[in-house]
Formats: sequence, structure tokens, C-alpha cells
Amino acid sequence: MKTLDNKRNRLLMATALFLGLGAVPFFAPPFYVVFLNDALIIACLSMSLNLLVGYTGLISFGHAAYFGLGAYACGLLMKSAGLPFGVSLVAAGALGGFGAALAGFFCVRLNRVYFSMLTLAFSLIFWAICFRWNDLTGGDQGLSGIPYPNLTWISQMLGRPDFSSAQSYYLVSLVVVAICIAAMWIIVSSPVGLILRTIRENEQRSTFIGVETRRVKLAIFIVAGTIAGLAGGLFAIFNRGVYPDFMYWTKSAEILIMALFGGIGSFWGPAIGSLTLLLLHQETLALTEYWSFALGIILLVLTLRFPSGLWGLFKRFTNTRRSK
Amino acid sequence: MDTTFMQLKRIKLLLGLLGILATSIAFAQVPIRVGFPMILSGAGGQFGTPILKGAQMYVDEINATGGVLGRKIELVPRDTKSRPDEAVRVARELVLRENVDFLVGTFTSGEGPAVSVIAKEAKKVFIAVAPKTDRLTAPDAIHPYVFRAAANTTTEGRAAAMIVAKWNIKRLATIAPDFAYGRDATASFVAHIKKLRPDIEIVDQQWPKLNESDYTPFITAQLGKKPEAVFSVICCGNFDSFARQAGAQGFFKSIGNNFIGLGEAGSIEALRALGGEYPLGVYANTYDAFYWKPKDTEVARLHAAFTKRLSTAFKDDTPPSWALQGYISMQFLVEGIKKANSIDSDKVSTALKGLEIVSPQGKITMRAKDQQATRGMLWGKAANRDGYAFPILDPVELIDPTLFMD
Amino acid sequence: MELPSLSAIGAQAVSGLTTAMLLFLVASGLSLIFGVLRLLNFAHGSFYMLGAYFAWQFNTWLQGSFWLSVLLAAIATGVLGALLERVLFRKFYDRPELMQLLFTYSIVLMVSDVVKYIWGTQQLGVRRPEILSHTFQFGELALPSYNLMIIVISLVIAVGIWLLLQGTRLGKTVRAAAFDREMLSMLGVDVRMLYLLVFSAGCFLAGLAGALVAPMSAIVPGMDADIIISLFIIVVIGGLGSFWGTFLGSIIYGMVFSFGILFIPQFSLFAVALIMAVILIVKPEGLLGRENTR
Repeated sequence: MKTLDNKRNRLLMATALFLGLGAVPFFAPPFYVVFLNDALIIACLSMSLNLLVGYTGLISFGHAAYFGLGAYACGLLMKSAGLPFGVSLVAAGALGGFGAALAGFFCVRLNRVYFSMLTLAFSLIFWAICFRWNDLTGGDQGLSGIPYPNLTWISQMLGRPDFSSAQSYYLVSLVVVAICIAAMWIIVSSPVGLILRTIRENEQRSTFIGVETRRVKLAIFIVAGTIAGLAGGLFAIFNRGVYPDFMYWTKSAEILIMALFGGIGSFWGPAIGSLTLLLLHQETLALTEYWSFALGIILLVLTLRFPSGLWGLFKRFTNTRRSK
Repeated sequence: MDTTFMQLKRIKLLLGLLGILATSIAFAQVPIRVGFPMILSGAGGQFGTPILKGAQMYVDEINATGGVLGRKIELVPRDTKSRPDEAVRVARELVLRENVDFLVGTFTSGEGPAVSVIAKEAKKVFIAVAPKTDRLTAPDAIHPYVFRAAANTTTEGRAAAMIVAKWNIKRLATIAPDFAYGRDATASFVAHIKKLRPDIEIVDQQWPKLNESDYTPFITAQLGKKPEAVFSVICCGNFDSFARQAGAQGFFKSIGNNFIGLGEAGSIEALRALGGEYPLGVYANTYDAFYWKPKDTEVARLHAAFTKRLSTAFKDDTPPSWALQGYISMQFLVEGIKKANSIDSDKVSTALKGLEIVSPQGKITMRAKDQQATRGMLWGKAANRDGYAFPILDPVELIDPTLFMD
Repeated sequence: MELPSLSAIGAQAVSGLTTAMLLFLVASGLSLIFGVLRLLNFAHGSFYMLGAYFAWQFNTWLQGSFWLSVLLAAIATGVLGALLERVLFRKFYDRPELMQLLFTYSIVLMVSDVVKYIWGTQQLGVRRPEILSHTFQFGELALPSYNLMIIVISLVIAVGIWLLLQGTRLGKTVRAAAFDREMLSMLGVDVRMLYLLVFSAGCFLAGLAGALVAPMSAIVPGMDADIIISLFIIVVIGGLGSFWGTFLGSIIYGMVFSFGILFIPQFSLFAVALIMAVILIVKPEGLLGRENTR
């Protein structure tokens, strides 16, 4: 049957991607490992935002707050409390989810621009707390010197004792991100995913057909926040430091832009958007200091001509080819 | 097709390519590459740019005499945008992709420790140009590859305490930006002034955020506590707005100009930007000043020569004060390479410990004990003097930091 | 902790008022643009920054005519706003809000680099004019005359715009456009020209604010990002689209921030964000806002 094939194909492609990415530290120079590690975490983050923006129509301006909360949780537990990585990572997701629950409870009662404004307000509140609570979070200075977890067991298991912490950590990130993406995929292809889409299309009608829209919105808000928290935890270690910048509105804007650039109308769009923008950012900075201007132009063209992002472009291209 | 013609063409092309290859091999002495993460944009760019230029000046001087170890030096600058996570990203890119041999740079006390971790990860010597926070070289953060060419909050705070201890005041207030540098400098000052003058009372402490644009409420709150003197660490380009707003509220007048401004409040940039609005009679510090006339004749000669070169490079008779920091940082690195006779970071690290250089401000030593330079600062009182378009610090002196280093 | 004296409280209130009026001057343009054009202009902070830079530039060219520089700077900003409206902004009036916000953000990004390119990263300064260098002293309270001027001008502008909107024919047309622009165009009004005018006026106000603020604080890249969040908080608290709401929002912001520093110094940043959240939860359309009828 065609649909079965499609599903199987997709699963095969995803597995191939996973294995391919997993092979990178074995063959590629360390810089690619570091770059891809960064890209994986950010892709996971923007995809978690897309659960809200693309699938449910909830435009959150404060998503970075949960990323930041997760980062602080993980960083603090690992550096100051010396707890093991597994525990810290779970705590990161938990704090992200908890923050999302707190904010989401109020936010989902509002619509459209007010929802967005309140998510922004909450992210500012969380940011202000981290910024001022100097004794705990290090304030503006942040927490630096976050240690890598002990990953020698990985390099031993793979038979590559020469692996640096960075390379082993990449594999850990890959696995965690893969689990998160799998979870997101399961959600959006399940009946829940359909409900999310109906809420996006017409919330009033959804309530008429019996959907408890507020509960669903809150639930997905918490899920997105939890995944963002996990991404934050991963990033805290990758970055070897946590800073209040992580939760500032400019970071939320960055994530939103990445998702839109890739295409919020698709599952993988935001991941592609993140990767592309990270790449462009890096290459542009090597040539000129005027990255803001370049990004501005990209955004301008995006909003004027290609609101459905790179994915939309790709779809248009493949459609025209097929019709030929 | 005329095959002989084609063959001839092909041969010519080949010869041409070989020629280019030959010449490039002759000139391709692989340079020593130094990654330079620095703030080059935003509000902090006004310091990062002269620092980079000062570093480049030193590099050009060295390269003109044949480089070091027979190789030229090449700076690879990257903009950190004053964000620690961006600093981490560019530091990794510089090390892993640009394959730099060393890292020199960072400005804020957030960037410094962030890049220090990467330097440790990559095992490359990193010389911090500007971060003053003690946390950079604290016992729990120090490692063989991090060195500081900047002054630090301990010496800066204590030097200020030494000056303030001479004032006839009892009630003291502090105002500092709420981040590591502001907090550490204030803490070190307060601890030392309490030792020198136990009779002084700290009546108020204000902590505006860094890059605050509206200081009025903080100034008002502080004036309300009626201090007789104020210790400030308002820095990083903010001193300009602060001084204007404070001046407008009669802040300096009400404390009889018993004000001491750390964080380069007395830099050329600040003096020039404020011009006639600069509060005269206050104390301030700076790394360098073109008008400084040192007592030691040898240092005076070196400094004058340096200032002349600086003025040419900046096409300005009143060149900025930050350039010297970039210059000195590169000087430490190159002299370290020379002493180690190698670009291996482990050897350079050993060579740097205890290394003494003769900088345009005199002798500076990179202490082996905590890998910090004995970097003093110029401290002086703001005054109008003939021959200068804006106020300068006069009297001004270089306070020896070793008085305050444990 | 000793309680501050009455005059200290008074002084703090006045400084809060100064902050408030300054912000109101900038926010008034934003409110006007949103009220009529239904466009949440993220780039408003950029026009504010441009006003400051233009003021510096004119000051340098004209050597000391402060008031003329301010006026020219405001006009230049208004003209630039008109140009951008004509070429870019008007394409977005009917687009979804997300696209509008992203577009205006792209303008923010581009303007910030253009400013950096033209004027560099150096901090620039403008001197206060001689007649306003004096400071009034009321006991413990020090009120610089320049700050007083800003308070006065903001109030004059507030009342002026209000009268314009209520009393004049142009004002009524503008308010009608906010209500139902299709009807208005059917009545023969050139709505496009009207929109251009309103947008331009909003930018003029932002530029004016920037030019006036210049002698008080530093002119640096980054001015745009700093102020835009404060502006958003203000218009949300006061009510998106309500003019007096923006005024009220500015006062609240200024006072909370100012007194926050006095009483709860650790948390004044937190306090304003909290108020914004509370208002959105309790009365999302803002204190003086009306429920969006569109």
C-alpha cells in the first residue's frame, strides 16, 4: 500500500540520516563535529518551537526562556552540585517543562497577539530573575567552566579511545536529539497532531466539535517547553557555560526566524532553517562584520516572497518538476 | 582544429601555472596565526577596534623585522558581539577550522572565562587582553593556557582604596554595573578601604545594569543617602551618559567632586566625548594617555616613541588609550614564543610564566604564580590644561600594581 | 533599612516622571502607527536611534544650532519613514501579524548595520544648549532644566496630538481610518496617502525623541534594541492602540522602575515585566484599551 511504503521510506530515511550523522566523528575533522553538535541542538530547539507555531498556530515570542531554564538547571547541577549528567539533563527538561507549565497556564487563555505578548512577558520575567539572582546564577557574568561529563565509557565502547570529550559528547547529543525528534514526530502524526492542526485552523470550531482546546494548548506548550529545556541542558555543556543571554528575547527571535526560514509548514523545515542560518552566519562572519544586514535582507526576502520558507521553495520546485 | 596551436596553448598555460606555483612556494612561509576574538560591533566596538589596531601595529612592527622564528605573524580577528556564547563559537571556529596557533583577545569579563574554557579544551595559549575579573585566574578556573595581560579587579579596587583613604570623608557610596567586573572591583575596593579606614561607612550601593541608558533614578536614590564621596565602576562606554545625567543633577557638585571613576572613566575616549561636560576635579583611571610624562627617562623615551607611532597609525594626535592593551598582549605572546623558541603552546606557556617585557609603559611581568601581568593603570585628577582641546588627567601617575598583589 | 525621606521620595518621583515622559515621547509614535495602521512596528526603536544620529550629524554640520538640528533630524526621520512606507511597509498592511513583525525586525537588523557603517561604533555626544544647562534646586530635589524641557515638550505633544485627533477634520479622518478604512475609501478619502502621513508622523515623533534624548545619554549602536522592549511593555500595559493608554503606561513604567530602584533594588527589572504579565492576564487589552473589533 502506498501509505505504508511512504511511512517505511520515511523511517528508512530517518534511520539513514541518524546513522550518517553518527558516523561523522569517525571520519570528519573535529570542526565539523563541533558545528554539527551546535546545529543538532538548535535544530531540536526550533523544531520544538514549531510544535507551537507551525502545528498549533501559537506564536510564542518567549520560547528561549525554557531553553535558558534548562541550561541553567543542567549547568548549576553539574558545576555547583556535581551531579551526574543524566540527572542534570532530566532536571533540565523538567525545569523547562515546569516553567512552560507556569507560563502556559496563563498564556493559553489569550489569543493571537496577546498570547504572544504574554509569552514575551514571562520570558522577560524569567530572564530578569536569572539576571539578578547573582549568587545562584552568576548574574550577567553567567556560569562558565561547566565540565564535560565523563564519557570515556563511550569511546571505550566504540573502540576508539582516541575520541576527545567533544566527539563523544556529540554522539550523546545526537542520541538525545534523535529521541526528542522521534517524540515530536509521534505526536504530530498521531490524532493529537490532527487536533493541533484543527486548533490552528479554527479554534472556535474545534471547541464546537468537543475539543478541549485550552488543555490541548497547555499540553503542547509544556511538551515544547520540556524539549526546549532538554536542548538547553545539552547546550549548557556544549557551550561550556550558561549566560542569561540564552533566555533573552533576541534569542527567542532567532529561534523563530530559523523556524520560519526553514518553513513552519513542515516537520523538518525548522531543522533545515537552523542548519542553513548557522552555516550562513559562520561563512558571512568570516568575510564581513555586517551579518545583521545580511540576515535582514534574508528576512526581507523571506517575508516578501517566500513566507513558507525554504521548504516551501523546495516543494514548489519539486512540484513544477513533477508537472513537467 | 589546429592541434599544434592547441598544444602550444596548453604548454603556455602549464608553464604559467608552474610559474605561479613556484613563486608562491617561494613566498609561502606559513605564518604564525593568532586568533583574535574581540568585540567589533555594537556599543563595545569602540574599544575593540582600537585594541585590534594596537595589536596589528605590533604585528606589523615585528613582521617588518622578519617576524619571529623566521615566520610572519598573522592576526585572524572575529567579532564576539560582546556575547560569551558567540565568543565560544568563534574561539572554536578559530581553533578548529582556521587552525590558529594561539588566541589573544576578549574584552568583557563574561567573554574572558568563556574563551578560557575553550583554550583549555584545545590546549592553546590564550592571552586575555581586557577582562579584569578575578574569576579568570581564580584557583578553580586557572589552567596552564590562560594568561591575563589586563589589570585585574583586585589591583584596581585596592589602588582606588589607597587614593580614597587620603580623603577627608566619612560617608561613602558605590555605584557599579551589575556584572562580574563591577561587582568584583567594588568588593575588592570595599574590603581594602575598610582595612585602611575603618571609620568610613558605606551608606549606599547602586547596581544599574551594564549599558543602562537612564541613570537618573539610580543617581537620585544615591543622592538621597547623602554620601560625601562616591566610588564608581561605570565603564564600557557608559560613563558618558552617566556623567551627563549625573552632572545635570548636580551629583558631582554635591559630593564636592570626591568621585573616583574606575573602568577607564579617564580614557581619552571618555574625556574627548564629554569635553566641556567632563566633571573637573574627579579622579579617574585609564590604561594609557598620550599626554603622560613618566619620570623615568627610559620609559619616557619608549612611551613617546610609541605614542608617535600610534598617532601615525590612527591619524590622530590624540590617539585612543585602548590600543596599548592590544599592543602589550601581542608583545607578551611574541616574546613568549621567542623565549620558548617554539610555537608549541605547552612550551610557550612555560616561557610566559615569569616573563618580563619592556613595554611602552615600562617593565611588566607575567607572574608565574597566577599567570597575571603586573599591569598598572594611570590614575589622575581631571583638569583643564592649556594646549589640549579637552580636559586631561593632571596630576597623573602610574600606580604600581605589585603593591596590591598577593 | 532606613526609610527614605519625603524629599528623597519626591526626587525619585520626579526622576520617574522624567523617564516616563521620555519614553512616552518615543512611544507616542508607536501607538499612533498601531492605532491607525494596525502595524506593530518593531523598527520604531530604529527610527528613534536614527533621530539621535541625524541630530548629531546636523549638529556637526551646522555647528551649534541645537534646536535647528533637532528639528531637521526629526524631519529627516519622518521623510525616511515616508520613503520606507512607500517602498516597503505598505506591502505588509494586510499580511498576517507574524509576517509584519518579522518584516519590521528585518528593518531593525538592516538599519543597525547601516548606522554602524556610516557612523562607526564610536560613541557620539551632543552638548545641551546653553540656555538649558541650568539645574533647578528645590531643597534636596535637583531638576535639570533640560529634563524639565523634555517633560514639558512631551506633555505639549500629548495634548497636541489629542486635540488634533479629536478636533480637526484631519484628525477625525485619521480616527475613522482606524475604524473602517474600506468605508473611508468609498467616501473618497485617499486612504493610502493618509496611511503614509500617519506613518511618517509616527517616525517624525520617534526621530524627535531620539534627537532630544541625545544630549542626555550616549549615541551608540544598540540604542534601538534597548528601547524597543520598554516601548512594548508600555503599549501593552496602557493598551494597544489607545493614545492615553500609552501615556498612562509610560507613567507606570517610569514610576515602577524608579521606585523599584529605591525600595526593591534587586528587582526593578523584574517588576515592570511582572506588571506587563499581570495586565495581560487580568485585562489583556490594556488598562485603557478597547477589545480589538477586527
